[in-house]
Amino acid sequence: MTAQEVRLCGLLLHEHFGEVVEKVGTHLLRSGAQNLRTIIHETGLSVDLVKKSLMVLVQHGACLFSSGRKGPGSPTEYRSGCDRILRILRYPRYIYTAKTLYGDTGELVVEELLQRGHMTMSGTVKTVADRLTQNMEEGRSMDYSEVSSAFSKLVETHFLQRCPKLAGAGTADTSAIPPTPESFPDCYKVPHMTLVGRGKRQLAAEDGEDQRNAKRQKMDSENSESVPGIYWQVNFERFHLHFRDQAIISAVANKLDQTSSEIVRTMLRMSEVTTSPAATCTKPLSANEIFRSLPASYNIPRPILDQYLTLLVDDPMEFVGKAGESGGGMYVVNLHRALANLARATLESVVQERFGSRSARIFRLLLRKRHLEQKQVEDFAMIPAKEAKDMLYTLLSQNLVQLQEIPKTPDYAPSRTFYLYTVNQLPTARMLLQNCYKTVANLIERRLFESKESKRLLEKSQRIEAILASLQASGAEPEQLTEVEEMITAPEKQQLDALKLHINKLDSAENQVDETIFLLESYVNSTATSTG
Amino acid sequence: MAARGRSRRTLSFSVDSVGINRGESLPPTLQQPTPVFPVMEQKPLPLTGGEEAEYLLALKQDFRGAMRSLPCFIQPAAALRDVERYSDKYHSSEHTDGLMDWTPDWQRFPRELRIHARKPARDGVSVARSDAQSAQKKKKKKVREKEEVLIKLETLQKKEEQQSEEDDDDDNTEQKKKQEDDDADGDEEYDEEEFEEVILYVTCDGSNQSVWTGSGLTEGSVLQETDYIMSYFDNGEDFGGDSDDNMDEAIY
Repeated sequence: MTAQEVRLCGLLLHEHFGEVVEKVGTHLLRSGAQNLRTIIHETGLSVDLVKKSLMVLVQHGACLFSSGRKGPGSPTEYRSGCDRILRILRYPRYIYTAKTLYGDTGELVVEELLQRGHMTMSGTVKTVADRLTQNMEEGRSMDYSEVSSAFSKLVETHFLQRCPKLAGAGTADTSAIPPTPESFPDCYKVPHMTLVGRGKRQLAAEDGEDQRNAKRQKMDSENSESVPGIYWQVNFERFHLHFRDQAIISAVANKLDQTSSEIVRTMLRMSEVTTSPAATCTKPLSANEIFRSLPASYNIPRPILDQYLTLLVDDPMEFVGKAGESGGGMYVVNLHRALANLARATLESVVQERFGSRSARIFRLLLRKRHLEQKQVEDFAMIPAKEAKDMLYTLLSQNLVQLQEIPKTPDYAPSRTFYLYTVNQLPTARMLLQNCYKTVANLIERRLFESKESKRLLEKSQRIEAILASLQASGAEPEQLTEVEEMITAPEKQQLDALKLHINKLDSAENQVDETIFLLESYVNSTATSTG
Repeated sequence: MAARGRSRRTLSFSVDSVGINRGESLPPTLQQPTPVFPVMEQKPLPLTGGEEAEYLLALKQDFRGAMRSLPCFIQPAAALRDVERYSDKYHSSEHTDGLMDWTPDWQRFPRELRIHARKPARDGVSVARSDAQSAQKKKKKKVREKEEVLIKLETLQKKEEQQSEEDDDDDNTEQKKKQEDDDADGDEEYDEEEFEEVILYVTCDGSNQSVWTGSGLTEGSVLQETDYIMSYFDNGEDFGGDSDDNMDEAIY
């Protein structure tokens, strides 16, 4: 829990849950596991506010509670983790992915679950059907069965999962580690439940149908809620696997060509269910299987497929590896190595954009050759000595390059020691990840500052929009509308447009930095699991 | 390292291997922190635009806006201003409506997090509970409350004469204690400590009825138990706060 992570989590909590939850959340992040009394005492908030904030945090999975460390009688302790709160940055990406895979219905289901934290299936289906009905034309409404089928599809592909049952929330919990959702065998099973009904429009035009629906809804709601407390949440890990696969496929498409990326996509699709999330590489697939599973639009002959596979194996990026000769050649996708290469490319591009292409050349050289002396750097990079020295020192002062001493004698006498320059990929990636968190926090703060500066102007424009909307709804003449519109003067309108542009840019920049965060985080986590 | 070399001209490390030649001088030492916004030699790349980026942006802003209106967005109790005003009594309940909309499943939360919401002292009705487990209790309450509305109307008339001074102070815990003692409902669980420290949530009778019974009561006068709409209680302190930039329109 670094300082930058805590700062960013605080800003995210403030924006999405209000400042009370922010205070409680940052206090928990900084101080570790605490019980209720300590939290109340140290944050100085009222009891009810603290209780409500804790409930909100638990509801959204940001805080876990367990019985105290001193034994069964001690008060429950609450602890919070940065990871879950930092996911909030990625919510738009999750919703967009659901939309591309399962359409508008899937998009709204995921959005509802993200907004509420945990929800029952029936609750989600009802809310989503109502929302979809709002946007449909008059007279049509959304059937529950369609929404339920989208929900079930999301659960089958593991994008949604059941919340782990908390063993006796009021009683003592003997296990120290809270159970993960995966430890329950029913994690991905949709309960057999029929939800009959249609979405309700808020302003009901047809009273008769609505009354009938309302009656049926009441009956069904009693049926469905008899299933005791099965709550669903979004499975972030599955989304992350999806993003990782997408990153690999687009990297292959950029480096090689479209057909190779299709081959890799087919291989990844075939190994979706057989590969565990922490696996280093997918299960070996034979060239025959790949040939059979290629999409119908890509009818390439078999020898061409073999050539493509050989090309992929020989590529220095090592996305695909050969694992054997049976079945026409067994091929695997090297997931961890691909992630490492993607992270390395990110580091290189960071150095290039910040310090120029010659410094980037030195950086790449050091990554490849591991340890080099000052003179060797100058020779290999073909850069004159003075400039190479300058660049190396700049990189060294930014901590992107490290100095390694190799003594010739046991007393580290400077005249008899080798000084080698080196780049360690993992610590550098971690450092850049912290820089990314700091960047996003700065972007958010700047955006809040800009909105605060122009708060009065924003409020005025909101009021005028509300007046316009109400006038239009009540059917006013165009002169009245133009009169109201003219209440905002031209310079104010310019100011508003500039403000909107800045805020959009800052928001968009946050989204983009989050993509880098995802890559670096996946890389760091993959090394942790492989070594640990 | 530099201190030891002060008396002699040589430095502690060999100059050749690190690459500093004899003739060159070291760069000047830094005497103050680096500037907050240093000049960048390379300008950063522009953001990737495109349809996907714009859609993601719209999703993000919509999500933020939607979260503000959900019950999980908790506003702190509004700070009291320097002088109490009559309109505070009617304004303070406006913000707390969203809090009661969310009835969590208490089996998933530790028992100590349960909040027992109190009704304001003006009503003679029993204390409302945010306990969602007991659906049967809810139904009993519905019936009970309808009867008690009638009783309440009578007691209100009596109480208004007695409590004319205490009406303006919603945070009066003594009033609440008195009301607790009068209360016939014996099933309630109290925490001794939270009883003393809790701040009243002013949830009015009107809003609770709309939650429990589902009847479509209109906002405004019923919510605040007055005969006037809420803009009647605007005390004129917000007037004139708009921008004075346009000086060609005279303000009367």
